[in-house]
Amino acid sequence: MENWKQNKAVFWVTALPGVVWLLLFFLIPLALIWGMSFGEKTSIIDIEITGTLANYSRSFEAVYLKIIWKSIWISVISTAVCLAIAYPVAFGICFSPARWRPLLLLLVILPFWINLLIRTYALIAVFRTRGTLNFTLEWFWNLAFLDKLIGPFQPLELLYNNGAVIVGMVYVFMPFMVLPLYATIERLDRSYLEASLDLGASQWRTFFSVTVPLTMPGIISGIILVFIPMLGMFLVPDLLGGTNAIMIGNVIARQFKQANDWPFGAALSFLLMYVTFAALALRAFIGARMKGGVGV
Amino acid sequence: MARRKSKRGPLDYAKSPWLIGFGLITFILLYAPIAQLIAFSFNDSKRNIVWRGFTTKYYAKAWNDPALVEAFVNSITIAVMCTMVATIIGTATALWLWRFRFPAKSAAEGVMALPIVIPEICMGVAVLVMYSRFGSWMRGVETGPLHWLNEFWAIWPPLNLDAFTIARIWNEFFSVWPLNLGAITAAHIAFSFPFVAVVVRARLAGFNREFEEASKDLGASEWQTFWNVVLPFMMPGVIAGALLSFTLSLDDFVITFFTAGPETNTFPVKVYSLVRRGVSPDINAASTVLIVITLVATIIAMRMQAPSKTEG
Amino acid sequence: MTYTPKFRASRRSVLKGSGAAFIGLTMMPRFAMSEEEKKLNFYNWDTYIGETTLADFNKASGIEVKMDLYADNAELFAKLKEGNPGYDVIIPTNDYVERMIAAGMLEELDKSKIPNEANIADAFKDATFDPGRKHTVPYMWGTMGIGYRKSKVKDASSWSAVLDSTDHAGRISLLGDGESVIGVTLQYLGHSFNSVVPAEMKAAEELLIKGKKNVKVYADDNGQDLLASGEVDLAMEWNGDVIQVMGEDDDLSYSVPKEGSLLWQDCVCIPKGAPHPQNAHAFINYLLDADAGVHIADTIQYATANAAAKAKMDEKYTGNPGIFPPDEVIAKCEASLYSEEKTKLRNESWTRIQAA
Repeated sequence: MENWKQNKAVFWVTALPGVVWLLLFFLIPLALIWGMSFGEKTSIIDIEITGTLANYSRSFEAVYLKIIWKSIWISVISTAVCLAIAYPVAFGICFSPARWRPLLLLLVILPFWINLLIRTYALIAVFRTRGTLNFTLEWFWNLAFLDKLIGPFQPLELLYNNGAVIVGMVYVFMPFMVLPLYATIERLDRSYLEASLDLGASQWRTFFSVTVPLTMPGIISGIILVFIPMLGMFLVPDLLGGTNAIMIGNVIARQFKQANDWPFGAALSFLLMYVTFAALALRAFIGARMKGGVGV
Repeated sequence: MARRKSKRGPLDYAKSPWLIGFGLITFILLYAPIAQLIAFSFNDSKRNIVWRGFTTKYYAKAWNDPALVEAFVNSITIAVMCTMVATIIGTATALWLWRFRFPAKSAAEGVMALPIVIPEICMGVAVLVMYSRFGSWMRGVETGPLHWLNEFWAIWPPLNLDAFTIARIWNEFFSVWPLNLGAITAAHIAFSFPFVAVVVRARLAGFNREFEEASKDLGASEWQTFWNVVLPFMMPGVIAGALLSFTLSLDDFVITFFTAGPETNTFPVKVYSLVRRGVSPDINAASTVLIVITLVATIIAMRMQAPSKTEG
Repeated sequence: MTYTPKFRASRRSVLKGSGAAFIGLTMMPRFAMSEEEKKLNFYNWDTYIGETTLADFNKASGIEVKMDLYADNAELFAKLKEGNPGYDVIIPTNDYVERMIAAGMLEELDKSKIPNEANIADAFKDATFDPGRKHTVPYMWGTMGIGYRKSKVKDASSWSAVLDSTDHAGRISLLGDGESVIGVTLQYLGHSFNSVVPAEMKAAEELLIKGKKNVKVYADDNGQDLLASGEVDLAMEWNGDVIQVMGEDDDLSYSVPKEGSLLWQDCVCIPKGAPHPQNAHAFINYLLDADAGVHIADTIQYATANAAAKAKMDEKYTGNPGIFPPDEVIAKCEASLYSEEKTKLRNESWTRIQAA
């Protein structure tokens, strides 16, 4: 890495666009909301920044901690499933003939250019009681004469539970996992794999001892890109979840809408951010110790 | 052991039946809902539970809905503008963080990650608050740019326009398409370029800096080195990042919802308001059109840049 | 040296003098009173206007109406709270009208421009949430109740069918609007919809937590779709939504439970900062027109507050107890009253219910 003083012109040219844009269109608005998290409602629409910590202390009530905890484990499972599916897919794309790769990559992204809500409703149409999946199963059931042997087909109740939320999350966030994985696996130096195989390691051993460590930067970026937005998600639990499906994103959204309590909503959002930042800092710290040094 | 039995080479993973099978199943799962959506756009039934015959009338209905078409065009315009700017800014940011060592670097990295970390709804509200305050400041005759203009005209009498005229010209200038989408686009760029930066930087992590050194030693300028050595290497990352930012922008609902006004609706915002009572077939039709348009555009774009593409 | 400050001072004073004029100008609508561009931005609920109403209005007045949709009052309020992004006409529900008046977000109507006001039914000429009807005119009104599938459900005459019974476990949807759900639960328990008495609130919360295992989903605004697609057999919903799907499926029905329910009223208003107030008044006047009202009521199947329109409607509409409940049912219903405290307590309670 270069010291920035060695090449100030390039330093500023690369630094300024991002910094300025972020400052104008992100940090300034964010600062307004951050201030709000230390504020109190003085009337229906006015908020006065009083420096109170009441909003934060309210966030630590058991009910909110419970919901945060639930959001974390739902996101962890969804991220893991996402990774387990996305890795082989990205791997397969990278090892396919070069002219196929852009097309395959496009095929992965394409569903995601359909609006999130429409996609989620499409999922509902597949999984609901009178949905495609149940109709198909019933058809097979009747085809196998099981209706004569066992009795009429009982449709599966697949929606409105935590499983449906996880399926929905995985479905929604898949490309955010595939893309960074693709970017790293694609530049994997294959001679390492050959060396490992030549030295007698099995394919699995090669995969876990060579491929995975070498593509770790992609895995980590993928996890960050998927896990963190999942934490704040509220549309998917809203549409696919049952009566228990509330996640912290739903609570935050409600503060900004129904409850009209922006200071509390701001405090909850920032609490979520503080937690993620602590986790990122911890990862950077461990990474630095292990001499990883992976991006953002 | 396995590789002796099979004819394929040890690294021909693309020919592994397991991987092919897995990929195939994934694609089927990914596309099943989409296929159903496309099928339903031709279904002659409002409720979309069972098949009631083929029709294209919902395409006509979607096409004849000016609000839907406008939202559609707005969405694509915003996504294209956002992708172009966000890819450039994101790539620059990735280069910056990858190349330089500087004081407070970890702080800068942390701040750059903020848009990824923040709950969407919070950013949406933040942008709403800022634009509404900033907007009245911009348009106010006693504040901001309008005030400066007035001051300027006041000391330069030949063009003595009154405040009202200036305000009108100013407002009309910023209500001309696509400038009126500027506010939404700016917000989209702000939340999508850090994603580009993450992806590009993951790619850059594997770059061998000796190539860069060699290029410079051979007399190439900073720009030539970037253009001929660094950029080709990071191109897959840049493309992946561009796709990501396009996806993010096209799909964003929460942040846009708070920024959009009656003149600046986007497709997701429109859809959101329409699907709360179930997806109607014309929405499915519009989505099908959207997917076809983006598919064709991307294939054309890929074709166009194919000759200059270097193989990795 | 001495000349310059003098010049500056004089320029300043000129500006100061014209400053007042500037303010006057910016506070005026964008174009002068007589000449407003022929446009109108209408922010409305989904499926809440006649199929051709906007086109008919355009034919009659030359004004082009652009309609955006919102999903609930909270969304409307959140969007207008920091300033009106350019809407001319909105249709909030009574408690939100009260809230918006308190927050100074609504324009006072110029009734001289709304002669069709005379068509409003007597019962709606005044309103407790908008004394003297200074800011609003009534649009539609209705109840909350239970939509159900007749072949599967025998008795939906009491809230117990959805709140306190295991007969249809897993086949029930409640609304996602916690404030209203808690409100009717309070009514079921014999209290007021608007109660903020801690013990009563607590009892309602406990009942809802206890009943959770029977409920399939808290549906935001699609209970009627779940009902129509056979996903649930009982849905807590707004009357008009259920009546719209009843038209497609004879097996569905609607009831207002005997314990009483929520009575609501949606009102047409002009938000502060509307760019086209003249057109907005013309549009409001048009909505109150008898024939326009007939067309709207015919399409959306909600109870109109337009007496002239109601008089022209057929028996199928006016005699439908789902649309116009009998007086004894209405007598038991309550309107939701606006209170910041209630909103806060109900939302906290709703979070606890969902997290339990």
